[in-house]
Amino acid sequence: MIDVKNISKTFISHSTEVKALVNVTARINPGEVVVVLGPSGSGKSTFIRCLNYLNVADEGSITIDGIDILDPNTDINKVRAEVGMVFQSFNLFPHKTVLENVTLAPIVVRKKSKEEAKKKGMALLEKVGIQDKANVYPDQLSGGQQQRVAIARALAMEPKIMLFDEPTSALDPEMVGEVLDVMKNLAREGMTMVVVTHEMGFAREVADRVIFMDEGAIVEVGTPEHFFKNPTHERTKLFLSQIL
Amino acid sequence: MGSAVALKRPKQGNHYYFWVGVFFFIVIGVVLSLYFSARQIDYTWRWYRIPKYFAYQEQVEIRSEIDGEVERISKKDNNAVIRVKGTEGTASYAAPVSALGFEEGDQVYYGDVLATYKKWRVGILLEGLWLTLKVSIIAIVFGILIGLFTGIARISSNPALKWSAISYIEMIRGSPLLVQIFIWYFVLGTLFNNILAKHGIGQIPPLWFGVAALACFTGAYVAEMVRAGIQSIHRGQTEAARSLGMTYVKSMRYVILPQALRRILPPLAGQFISLIKDSSLLGIIAIRELTKATREVVTTSLQPFELWFVCALLYLVLTFSLSMLLQYLERRQMAV
Repeated sequence: MIDVKNISKTFISHSTEVKALVNVTARINPGEVVVVLGPSGSGKSTFIRCLNYLNVADEGSITIDGIDILDPNTDINKVRAEVGMVFQSFNLFPHKTVLENVTLAPIVVRKKSKEEAKKKGMALLEKVGIQDKANVYPDQLSGGQQQRVAIARALAMEPKIMLFDEPTSALDPEMVGEVLDVMKNLAREGMTMVVVTHEMGFAREVADRVIFMDEGAIVEVGTPEHFFKNPTHERTKLFLSQIL
Repeated sequence: MGSAVALKRPKQGNHYYFWVGVFFFIVIGVVLSLYFSARQIDYTWRWYRIPKYFAYQEQVEIRSEIDGEVERISKKDNNAVIRVKGTEGTASYAAPVSALGFEEGDQVYYGDVLATYKKWRVGILLEGLWLTLKVSIIAIVFGILIGLFTGIARISSNPALKWSAISYIEMIRGSPLLVQIFIWYFVLGTLFNNILAKHGIGQIPPLWFGVAALACFTGAYVAEMVRAGIQSIHRGQTEAARSLGMTYVKSMRYVILPQALRRILPPLAGQFISLIKDSSLLGIIAIRELTKATREVVTTSLQPFELWFVCALLYLVLTFSLSMLLQYLERRQMAV
């Protein structure tokens, strides 16, 4: 479903080069939940953002559903419509109500009728447990509620893949659970998911595979059992000893 | 403001009322000193002469253009049509019933007054006020359009768009409006109208060069506000919109611009108030807006003191109404 081959990405800020990704190769199969772990600055956010072309890889190739997204002739908007993204800081549209947040893209991108989009939107809000807030504005919601709306907003496009970029990192601890529950349900329904997170519990429970990154490179890939119980690399062991 | 006040110690009541008293003392002092200074130079205030420049009653006389006999007066409500039958044909005149000076069968001669009545006419100041309002509204609308387009072009990565926008903004902001009005009227106006005349097309009146000058001037300032407004919206908004598959144009239209425009509403209001005031410069290219109208009335009435105060007050009415309107819009959006 997603095929990443040898991508590299270097940021240049104030004439210093920062190698965010170094020769990264990965594959995400349909229906698979892949959790990307790693210390901060390891390039995991850059990696997931490259999958959506929010960051552009300098080299290598990224193929999503058979479409090469780095090809200049590819209509990236079509690809993005099939790939939902959830951000650390929610990024809800503050000038639109919760329901309008969810229905905007289906209406203007998918050209759905307003009624249809509303019906689908309400169903999704119900799914994330927030249907009674449909007509309020995002700033009246708690962080956890906002993130659940953001998930519903992404799902409204009926994506084939969902990308989560540290979806719980900006939340108060007591709200992390409600967001993770929504994500777990999504995983159970068979959604293909790539999740960058620091929630080890989520990785252990939900992930089909764990990718561990450090200094812009993939250090280790494996099942959660392998990763948490018998990590092979020293760097992985050190990371786990620091956080567990 | 409220918080700044709250930081201070509570004041005793008497203290506060003393300074309120000082305020009114200053106001009355300014008015009185103006009055007595005017008396020193024997200026006579004649406020009663002012209303006629807003509206006045015009004496209308309807005169017969032929010799003959009033053949028929047909009345309908208060309107009458007088038919005069002469040797060389008939003529009809319309007038209010109450104004009639002849009856059916009367003999009339060329130049006789058939009817006389008074009619309310709009005075020159009110006409000037209306023109100022009209020019300002048109210039604001075009200023917004130019500003929106240029503001977006300003942050484009396309060098043709970006550099054009920067050149335009810098040129407009770096030269006096008065000079720009001269250029629009004497340079561009001459060019346009001569070329149009060459092709036998009608001329563009000065009003439109004035409007163009104001719109382009305002557009440059609005462009910078639009740019700042767009750039003040968090990157995450664009990313969220684009990640949902929206094109650049759609994300601008549905997500970024609505938020940016809300944010720049207060400085935009200030800009539009400036524009209303700046329209007073258009008098120099023969557009009879409020200031030019006042100048004309001053030369005929010789009451400059009253008229200039009235003129300032009329601008205040315009700018204050606009600022109230925009404050209302702002509050309404805050509620959202």
